[in-house]
Amino acid sequence: MRKSWRLKDIVLMSVLGVVFGFIYLGFFGVGKVLVAILTPFGLGPIGYELIYGIWFIVSIIAAYIIRKPGVAFTAETIAAITEVLVGSTSGPALILSGMVQGLGAEIAFAVTKWKNYQPRILVFSGVSAAFISFPYHFFVSGFHAYESWLIMTMFVIRLLSGAIIAGYFGKILADQLAKTGVLNGYPIGKEIIARHEKSSTNF
Amino acid sequence: MKNHQPIFELDSFSFSFDKHDEPSLNNVSFSLYAEEVTLLLGASGSGKSTLTLCLNGLYPEAIDGFTSGDLLYKGRSISSYPKGVINQEIGIVFQDPESQFCMVRVEDELAFVLENLSIPRSQMKQRIEHVLDIVGLSQYKKHNIHQLSGGQKQKVALASILLMDPQYLILDEPTANLDPISSIEFIETIMRIQKERRFGLLVIEHEIDDWETYAHRLIALNKKGEILLDSTPKEGFINHLQELRSNRIRVPKRYVNREIARPPSSEKENKEVIVNLKNIQFNYKNKQILNELSFLIKKGRFCAIVGENGAGKSTLLQLIAKLNKPVSGSIDFLNIPLSDWHENELYKKIGYVFQNPEHQFINQTVYDEVCFGMKLSGYSRVETERMAHQLLTDFDLLSDKWKNPFSLSGGQKRRLSVATMLHSTPDLLLFDEPTFGQDAYTISQFMRIVMQLNEKGTTIVFVTHDMDLVDSYCNHVLVMQEGNIVYNGTPKELWRRTELLERARLRIPYRLRSMNEEMTV
Amino acid sequence: MIHSLNPTMKAITIIMPAILLSFSFDIITPAIMFIYILILTFFFSKLNIKKWLFYFIPMSFFALGLAWMTMLYTDGRYATGPIIFSFLSFDIRMGSIIVSISLALRSLCFIGLSLLFAFTTDPTKFMLSLMQQARLSPKLTYGILAGYRFVPTFRHELDMLKKAHRIRGFGHAKGWRNLVEQMKQYFIPLLAGAIRKAERVAIAMESKGFTGSKERTYYTVMKIKFTDYLFLSIMLIILIIAYYVSYRLGTLNIFGHRITP
Repeated sequence: MRKSWRLKDIVLMSVLGVVFGFIYLGFFGVGKVLVAILTPFGLGPIGYELIYGIWFIVSIIAAYIIRKPGVAFTAETIAAITEVLVGSTSGPALILSGMVQGLGAEIAFAVTKWKNYQPRILVFSGVSAAFISFPYHFFVSGFHAYESWLIMTMFVIRLLSGAIIAGYFGKILADQLAKTGVLNGYPIGKEIIARHEKSSTNF
Repeated sequence: MKNHQPIFELDSFSFSFDKHDEPSLNNVSFSLYAEEVTLLLGASGSGKSTLTLCLNGLYPEAIDGFTSGDLLYKGRSISSYPKGVINQEIGIVFQDPESQFCMVRVEDELAFVLENLSIPRSQMKQRIEHVLDIVGLSQYKKHNIHQLSGGQKQKVALASILLMDPQYLILDEPTANLDPISSIEFIETIMRIQKERRFGLLVIEHEIDDWETYAHRLIALNKKGEILLDSTPKEGFINHLQELRSNRIRVPKRYVNREIARPPSSEKENKEVIVNLKNIQFNYKNKQILNELSFLIKKGRFCAIVGENGAGKSTLLQLIAKLNKPVSGSIDFLNIPLSDWHENELYKKIGYVFQNPEHQFINQTVYDEVCFGMKLSGYSRVETERMAHQLLTDFDLLSDKWKNPFSLSGGQKRRLSVATMLHSTPDLLLFDEPTFGQDAYTISQFMRIVMQLNEKGTTIVFVTHDMDLVDSYCNHVLVMQEGNIVYNGTPKELWRRTELLERARLRIPYRLRSMNEEMTV
Repeated sequence: MIHSLNPTMKAITIIMPAILLSFSFDIITPAIMFIYILILTFFFSKLNIKKWLFYFIPMSFFALGLAWMTMLYTDGRYATGPIIFSFLSFDIRMGSIIVSISLALRSLCFIGLSLLFAFTTDPTKFMLSLMQQARLSPKLTYGILAGYRFVPTFRHELDMLKKAHRIRGFGHAKGWRNLVEQMKQYFIPLLAGAIRKAERVAIAMESKGFTGSKERTYYTVMKIKFTDYLFLSIMLIILIIAYYVSYRLGTLNIFGHRITP
């Protein structure tokens, strides 16, 4: 299969990036509510970590659909640019943060030479995005001022969130989308058609 | 005309999306020439759009498809040209005005084309202004494309193609999403330019009445993607009428003895009022959309709301369905104010079919989609299954019942969206432009279903641009203009109000146009 | 005027202090930067102040929330000085208050910079400038622009979806548990439509002779001018001054290390 991007791959990445840019912004609000709920229990900062996986999800969805090198990184970066252009609380540095997260997600696919898109690789991608992004946020968001037990807990929760929300739910969303037939022109859709044909010939 | 070298030569050309698939184009052979206007006809799914993208060199590469046979452009195989060369000599205007542009402003979109051609910057401004002048959009240079009307968008698409000074131009249903007047304007614009520039023209269109007079030639494809006919339009429409029609191809109305549609019946006039609007005012973003509207619709009517885009038709329909709230005034449904209706009860009695049927789909399969409303209404499982089976049979969807609703064809989606409204027999069904962008066969099949519902007592109200539909089905018509109702009465009476029709940008139905022509001749 | 600056240079100029501010955990440094950002916003850009406040005020609650949280969970290195007050089981010390105000001011700076960029930059020009100055490939540039074009249509589409679902008796799913359900309800149809359009747009663009080749002329030429360098330099100078003033006042704190003259 050709590894170079077709124009329609790029436009799709862009559409996904823009849509998720808006969703990402929305989830800042969700995080705030979680923080407010958890603060009386002494676990405030964990609020954001619980849902942190949502902020990697476009990487996994785009990569899973298009299956070419650089897709996870680019889609995440576009989402971050969208957030900044729409106006976010984290400022323009969010673009860098998006790039770091995208890079983290891309690593999982790079390790398998962009050939394997099985569920465990998608989950692994969510984990690697969490793993890479944490040190970056440690630096930029001033986690340094937190107590160390809290930092460790935050890290573990972020890894889990990356695995479940980004990896697992990302896959489910992309599969649902593929079922509508609009992705038939992309690798994910072709895989579904092939599976379909196989099962019908077996029958 | 055919003494020139052909622009395109196809020899036993076939195309399929997948190796194992049935080909979408099957062993097609013909040539296309400069200066010639050709109509390409075929039912939905006969491979017309695929053919255009093959001619343009984008297929098979863009989708990894498979071809066999020869496709030559100016005597050379199309695949031997470097990327982009063919695209710049062959222009296409596509159907959907919403998805042809990559830039925000008109000027930038046109510049994008010139940049692709590496035209020096110093010439760009002048070329852009010139081409906007040709298509009549000079004052829109700095406008945002998404704020233009559908007709204007298609003219921008045409302008960007003209900038390439193409050898050959392909129009892939460019007027399918336009209202009748915009459609005529578009056709006149392009034919005027064709006369001056003398490029070859391939026109794909479902509604060909207005194109036929300009065409030199007719090529028809059958369902299997094979050539059915290649002749002059006159010869084709006169001598092969039955063949064309049996392949679900719509022919110009003047070649068909019109079936007399149901005469708008006034005998079984019902006195009861179903919807009653009084002094309705509606604003959106501080702009007045509807202005002091009052009218009533009687039970059992088949009523159309017509008028140009932006007149407030869809807004009005949504108000009747309680999807919007008026600023002032009152709406009664079955003599009870809308505000007193509980939503669950109301939407058992009112159905609403949206312009884009996909908006209404909630479930993963066609079957679940049909059952959804029944489950909400608390029918038993046995009952639900029985009703669902009946509905799917009536709407010709039984064989697709486990498909995802989004993967259906346009006509099937439309039928499904109506079926989802019929879990309880609604008293009132509202339709927002139900026939937009559909082919002839789909429209007639759809209207048959709606007629049957109306005969069972459901009141029908629909927004449309198609005056032929209004003429043959409706017994009540409301004309809107700039947020006002400027006519409220029967279609028959409306066709006599020439001055009013012109003001509201409406076109009289074909039946009367042809009568007028006969009278003048 | 900030509107007329080169977008790529502007982005760099704005990202830089955002990163460099991350070192400081005192009040003076971000405070000076924040004042400078406000001066830029009110005096050097022609943005609508009302609209700016409309975004800025709710976002600054975020900064307050962050400050509050930091105050409660301050690490030992920062939680020094006398106990000022107690909240639930937390003892809040002077050091905690300082570091939390610092972080709050830092995020106010981020918000200010972000809005300054968002309000003074035309997305199209930003992309064109990325192509012309940052050598982003035309294929990527125009591909992204094509995707951005759908933004204005989303709101309308969402509105129609909500209405269509209401008619079918499938109201707005409420509550936390339904969040996923809700996303699915609107998200799949919204995206399915957009993806189909994306594919069509890509075809339409290629049929207009777009190959993604770098050999192309530009209608809108983006340039880097003297003022762009000036803007960048002043931003850096102010940042240095901010750190220096804090240093002279003896308040400078880099990652918990007090640095005094």
